[in-house]
Amino acid sequence: MSEMKETLTQPILRNNPIALQILGICSALAVTTSLQVTVVMCIALTSVTAFSNLFVSCIRKHIPGSIRIIVQMIIIASLVIVVDQVLKAYAFEISKQLSVFVGLIITNCIVMGRAEAFAMKNPPLPSFVDGIGNGLGYSVVLLVVAFFRELFGAGKLFGYQVLPVVTEGGWYNPNGLMLLAPSAFFLIGLFIWALRSWDKSQVEAPDYKMAKHTAVEEAA
Amino acid sequence: MSSNDGIKKTLIVAFSLCIVCSVVVSTAAVVLKPTQEANKTLDRKRNILAAAGMLEEGVSIDKQFEQVETRIVDLRTGKYSDAVDPKSYDQRKASKDPSTSKTLSQDEDIAKIKRRADFAEVYLVNDEQGELDKIILPVHGYGLWSTLYGFMALESDLNTVVGLGFAEHGETPGLGGEVDNPSWKAKWPGKKVYKDGDVELGLIKGTVDPSSANAEWQVDGLSGATLTSNGVSNLVQFWLGEQGYQPFIENLKAGEA
Amino acid sequence: MGLRKILDNMEHHFQDGGRYQNWYALYEAVDTIFYSPGSVTKSNAHVRDGVDLKRIMITVWFCAFPAMFYGMYNLGFQANDVIAAHGGAVDGWRGALIGLFGGYDAGSLWDCFFFGALYFLPIYLVTFAVGGFWEVLFAMKRGHEVNEGFFVTSILFALTCPPDIPLWQVALGISFGVVIGKEVFGGTGKNFLNPALTGRAFLYFAYPASMSGDAVWTAVDGYTGATPLSVVASGGMPALQEQWTWMDAFLGNLPGSIGETSTLAILIGGAVLLMMRIAAWRIVAGVFLGMVALSTLFNLVGSDTNPAFAMPWYWHLVTGGFAFGMMFMATDPVSAAMTNGGKWAYGILIGLMAVLIRVMNPAFPEGIMLAILFGNIFAPLTDHFVIQANIKRRLARVQ
Repeated sequence: MSEMKETLTQPILRNNPIALQILGICSALAVTTSLQVTVVMCIALTSVTAFSNLFVSCIRKHIPGSIRIIVQMIIIASLVIVVDQVLKAYAFEISKQLSVFVGLIITNCIVMGRAEAFAMKNPPLPSFVDGIGNGLGYSVVLLVVAFFRELFGAGKLFGYQVLPVVTEGGWYNPNGLMLLAPSAFFLIGLFIWALRSWDKSQVEAPDYKMAKHTAVEEAA
Repeated sequence: MSSNDGIKKTLIVAFSLCIVCSVVVSTAAVVLKPTQEANKTLDRKRNILAAAGMLEEGVSIDKQFEQVETRIVDLRTGKYSDAVDPKSYDQRKASKDPSTSKTLSQDEDIAKIKRRADFAEVYLVNDEQGELDKIILPVHGYGLWSTLYGFMALESDLNTVVGLGFAEHGETPGLGGEVDNPSWKAKWPGKKVYKDGDVELGLIKGTVDPSSANAEWQVDGLSGATLTSNGVSNLVQFWLGEQGYQPFIENLKAGEA
Repeated sequence: MGLRKILDNMEHHFQDGGRYQNWYALYEAVDTIFYSPGSVTKSNAHVRDGVDLKRIMITVWFCAFPAMFYGMYNLGFQANDVIAAHGGAVDGWRGALIGLFGGYDAGSLWDCFFFGALYFLPIYLVTFAVGGFWEVLFAMKRGHEVNEGFFVTSILFALTCPPDIPLWQVALGISFGVVIGKEVFGGTGKNFLNPALTGRAFLYFAYPASMSGDAVWTAVDGYTGATPLSVVASGGMPALQEQWTWMDAFLGNLPGSIGETSTLAILIGGAVLLMMRIAAWRIVAGVFLGMVALSTLFNLVGSDTNPAFAMPWYWHLVTGGFAFGMMFMATDPVSAAMTNGGKWAYGILIGLMAVLIRVMNPAFPEGIMLAILFGNIFAPLTDHFVIQANIKRRLARVQ
């Protein structure tokens, strides 16, 4: 059971798909302007990853090696379409804001990566749990980014005005950069910085080291 | 595992997977379609009500929309038309099709929309006596980065603005995106559209001087967003002008629509 | 040698194991302002010059002074001019100080200068204090020395601010510039972007309504107008010439960011930099040529819908931040290209981009800042190609 717990919790901080593997950045930039939208996106991605892992793992012993990527793609794509349809029916406002990014879950490297790397080699239940774990890892980063972007960009949290903005008679001057995609880059960067200061084992080895000066005697 | 890689196995797996997936996907699409359609119309209704300042929290949108009557106007003649069904008519699609729209010349096309559909929806709000109270006109035009789609509501004199709201746009947040700012939108009600038969209403740079003779036709520009402001002025002038609803509005005033 | 002695007596406290070892960076900074560093080169092949990094930075700092002093005067002059025409006065502590020591007379050198100083000095102080705080913090944490590059960054950043900028925005901007623009890459020498411009760009996108160069920057509440560049963008050259003559723009008699207004003052500082070989003349020439080439091309092509096409090169030079960017920002030795060929390419790229953004982009009337950051990003690439080409050429010679 502890192994299962590991599978679930490892990807959240220790082996985070965004912060350590730097996967799935594009949607992290696009959908994080408000928490409400982000939460929906996180749920959508987590369920797609979990179920695609589950189904891929269920039929893993029957998947021919030559078409395995296509098989995974079909399963993921079908799930994404179903999720998209459900959102359009039951969360219309938010699905309007998410627009193409729900559809783009198909191309999210995390989903595909987990199906290929984990579900193809493990039984269904651990695969399902792994999908949830990675989805949560993705969600943690997105929620942190969205928290700061919505708070500083619009003075709101989940749509409720927390900091009264100047244009409506308050004191807070919203930071427009936060509403633009590059701010998510900076925030993810800072998140990774914080994460790696906490867990030093995630720091990559430097590419090269500068050589020391050589004195005359040594050179000769 | 080698048995998996045979041609026969490969085909069987591929085929059955495709069948299963297509069944799942199409079931989801068919089952959820009615709810999605309902959502779309509801969203449109909400935007229309919001532009007219009639949106009330806590009351069902459909109920509020009961007092609104949807009619189709033939923009070429300026009269009501029954040629298309308001329930299924999609103005955005129609304006892309050459057979249902008109290509605008460069002089005419101040709102930079290239083509204008022949038919347009208008929404009439009647009061208890059945008299026209408000009219809501869909408008759109190009701003700085994107086409702004919105609704303009006029009072029964067909000259005084009730409100202007944009349902969809992609302008810069904080600059052009301020078209959604409630305090800016609050500057529109009470403004006048026509002056001696021409559309005069528009945005100006900076703040309107209330003592100016033209203050009734002017709205504050969006600070730092000259091109979005121009875009909004242009779309108002286009849609309320000769190529837009002006012929219809005049007919309506004369009781000939 | 009294001072030397005091410093020496203190030194052991700051060395490893000493009481204040974490504060070594500060001690080192003070020490090297007065004396040459004590470290000695031990390897061979080393060129020694009286001008080290510290002296270079201080020189750049001094060279920004003409633009700074003129900027302060002009800030006051523009504001007093508006006050004379439209009425109004300054509230708060600034108003009180002006009431005590100055006045609102646009004709009086002292009144204008004092007015300007009251706006500029707080901006500069905040820049220096906040930016310095980050600089020292990182120096202590990372164990490197406080670098005088910060003197340059701070004054350049302060000079690119609009006069009416709120001080909290100054603090935010310089924090972003120093931390994200420089320290995350490992401090001075390792940053690939100009930190002052990074901070400025942050503010530009974060608070576009007040920073994008559209509305005028005059330190009078409630007064709005248009900057010369946005006048051109909407009304064309005639509208610009109606308000300002070329001489006005060259001498700096127009509103704008504090340090950018007077092309003359910038050129004086720039000339010193060029003569001392601190600023690379190839970069300056490249920026200038790129700007002349593209603006002339635009003049020839012409446009019915975009009046900014007609703006000639000598106007591009004197309006907005072009001259300031060309002399002080593009020539930053760390973020610019290093090779001679690369410097030309880098400079020309900046000149072209600056005009391109000014003329073609409908949203941003000013383009020099983004052009320089763009050039910064491409500088390592151009250097790479120049070096590769050189290697190829020399290999061919050997074979």
